[in-house]
Order: sequence, then C-alpha cells, then structure tokens
Amino acid sequence: MEFEVQENQGNNSIQGIINLQPQVNQVNQVQSQQQEIQIKQTDIQVSSTLEESVAVTLLRDLRQIGVKLRCVLVPTMSTDNARELRNWDLWGPLVFCLMLALTLSLSGNNDDGPGIFATIFVLIWVGSFVVTLNAQLLGGKVSFFQSVCVLGYCVFPINLGALFTLFFQFFYLKMFLVIGCFLWSTYSAVGFMKLLIPEQKRILALYPVILFYLFLSWFALIV
Amino acid sequence: MQNFGSNNDLDEKGHVMTDQPKIKVKFEPKPKPSTCPICTVEYYQQFFDIEQRDVYMRIRCSLLSWKPEFYQCVGKNPDLWGPLWISTTIIFILFAGGNLSRFLLEEDKRHFKYEYNYMYVAVLVVYAMAFIIPIILGVIMKYILKSELGVFEIVCMYGYSLSVYMFVLILCIIPYNEAQWFFLMCGLANSTIFLLVNLWDFMKKNKQTTLIAVPIISFNVALILCFKFYFFRLIYAVDD
Repeated sequence: MEFEVQENQGNNSIQGIINLQPQVNQVNQVQSQQQEIQIKQTDIQVSSTLEESVAVTLLRDLRQIGVKLRCVLVPTMSTDNARELRNWDLWGPLVFCLMLALTLSLSGNNDDGPGIFATIFVLIWVGSFVVTLNAQLLGGKVSFFQSVCVLGYCVFPINLGALFTLFFQFFYLKMFLVIGCFLWSTYSAVGFMKLLIPEQKRILALYPVILFYLFLSWFALIV
Repeated sequence: MQNFGSNNDLDEKGHVMTDQPKIKVKFEPKPKPSTCPICTVEYYQQFFDIEQRDVYMRIRCSLLSWKPEFYQCVGKNPDLWGPLWISTTIIFILFAGGNLSRFLLEEDKRHFKYEYNYMYVAVLVVYAMAFIIPIILGVIMKYILKSELGVFEIVCMYGYSLSVYMFVLILCIIPYNEAQWFFLMCGLANSTIFLLVNLWDFMKKNKQTTLIAVPIISFNVALILCFKFYFFRLIYAVDD
C-alpha cells in the first residue's frame, strides 16, 4: 500500500491519494482504487520549541508526566488511557527510578548508600527490560519501550512507600504501607500487561511483573 | 464502482497529482539480514512457546522426581521460561530468606546489619547452576559422548530440577540447624534423583556415559553446601 501526499500551504492542509493494491474482481478485470483524501491540520505549531523559555518546556514535560501518571495509577481501563499510554516516554521512569534509588540510599539504616543506589538503579532498568522481553518472547503484542514506560511509571507507589518509611520507624506500620504500595503497583502494571497477552500464557507473563515489584518493595521495607 | 477521483486531476498549483507525488510513504516489510540468527528475538521465541498448564505439569514432574516422565512432559518442546524464572525466584528467596533467618536468630534486633552481598552471590551461584553448568554438560554430552539430547533440553531439565528448592529454601528460614539440614537433604535427594532418573537411558549405554553422574551429583552437593554455609549459616551468640 502506498500513499502520496502533498502539502497545501494555502489552506494548511495536506491532500493525498491512497493507492490500494490492484484488486482482481470476478470477471478478471484489474481495478485499482484511488481515493483522494483531504486532511486539514488546523493546529499546526508554527514556532519551534527552541524559541520558548526553559520553564515552559519543563512545565510541559512535567505536565505530560503527570497526565501519564494519572492514567497508569488510576486504572480505569478506558480507551483514553490506552491512547495516552501509547505516547511512551522514558523521562517519567527515569525520574521515579532516581527518586527511589536516592531515597533508599539516603535512609539511615544502612551504611552502603552508593551500593544501594547502584543496585536499585540497575534492578529497575534491567528488570523492566527482562520483564518486557519475557512478554515479547511469549508472543505478546507489546511494544518494547511502551512496556518499559508503563513498568517505570508503576514504580511510583513504591516510591511513595519508600518516602513514608523514611519518616516512620514503627515496623508494622512500615510493613502495611509497603504491602499496600506493592499491591497498588502490581495491580496497575498487571492491568496494563494482561490485555496484551493471550489467555493461556497470561500467568507466565504476569508472574515476572509481580516478582519485579516484590523485589523493589522488599528493598523499600528493609532499607 | 464509484470513482473518487480520476487519474489526471490537477491540484491547485497546477501539478498533476498522480504523476508527480511529492511525498511517498511505502509500507513494505524490510527483509531482515540473518547474520546472527542466535542473536534475534525470533530465535528464542521457540523456547517460550508454552502455556501455563505446561509449566505446571513440568514442575509437577520435577517434584515427583522418581518417575521418569519428564520427556513425556516436555516432548519436543524444551522451554527456557521455567529455568529463567525458577532461578530468579530462588535468588529472591535466598536474598530475603537468608537475611530473615539471621534476623530471627539475632538477639539485638535494632542493630541488625543486613547483608546485601547475598544478592550478588546468589545471582552468581544460581545462574551458574541453572545455565552455565548445564550448557557445559550438554555440550560434552552431545558432542563428545554422542547423546541424542540437545543442549537446550539439558538446560530445561536442570532448570526444572531446581524447582524443589523454591519450597525447600522457604522452609529453611526456620532458624534451627537440624531442620535446615533436613530440608536441604530432602531437596538434594529430590533434585539429584530427578536428574539421574531422566538421564538413565543415556547413562546405561556404556561406562563413559555413566561417569556423567559424578559431576551431576557433585555440583548438586556443592550447591546445598553453599546454601547452608553461606546463606543460611547460623552463628550463635558465644556464651562468655
């Protein structure tokens, strides 16, 4: 299939022709169909993003992170959510990963701060990579970076749990908080991933997700 | 047929649209260069072609280790999902459970020092046992001892033989020496019997092939010694 488009700068639209493959109908006549399409782009951004101030750029990125965070963490399974998540980005996962690694390495109970930072950082990225690869190998129709993006965003509740455990030292309260955050993260991630895997292989793809968040929550609990 | 546009339409600038396309977008799958077939994702997809029911049956075969049914379970379809995630689960249990076991025994719980090295050692030991040793054994068996089993079948068998340790190591959190030895011995017996029973057809061929039992048994014994003396060591407080 090919389509040929031309910009029409007069009325800010692009016009094009879709050439479908020639179809042979029942009387052996080759007919090729052409359809003329007109796409009007009414919101063309005329200025490039280089001309805006740094604050505007940062705020826009932060707002996008916030929107995606809300989609991921309030799992309502609407089509808007799904569409929003298709625009993956890796800034959000990086921010949450760094926050979690910093929080855990700065907590007072351990004397191996840099080691913990490195362990958590590597664990999150390698873990997301391996879990996504596992889902792909099982035949799931999952785009690689989109899945890494969602797994990274779902680390946010564990982040919250780690921040709380910095302030509360009472063990049973810590345990309940961390268990709650683990269940929240896992529920969000599982809700996203289970749509992409066939029914008979679902547990095989979801068990690694559970193990991944269990590892991270365990770290949040003991450190 | 309805014509939505004839072939010689002119656009507003006077260009003939069909003859001079400005931007052409073609959807054609690019042929993939097969320089390194073992490096692509598609090569490994054949090892993940199983369902959750199959994994359940294989783990069940491995726990009931005295019945030589593993090849009937596996058929022509060795998988890598089992070895990978069973060994990763064991790493987590060693890391969490090993420290938990020491914590339960510790008198001064406020100043308990968590050993993070457990994770690195666990990764080394378990992945070596689950992947490196069976690959070496499989290569020796296939190319030197002329077995009809492939390397991936041996890796699959070794991976599932470790599945009993998932349960044994959770029980080893109980901080009593005798209990830990008992559970580890049960795990050792189950795992070794599973491997020997399923390789028996290959081993009874001649004297050389029977010798393959020696490295199998010794690596398993080394594994549980490592579990007991590194991860679940019990250091009692010295009475002055």
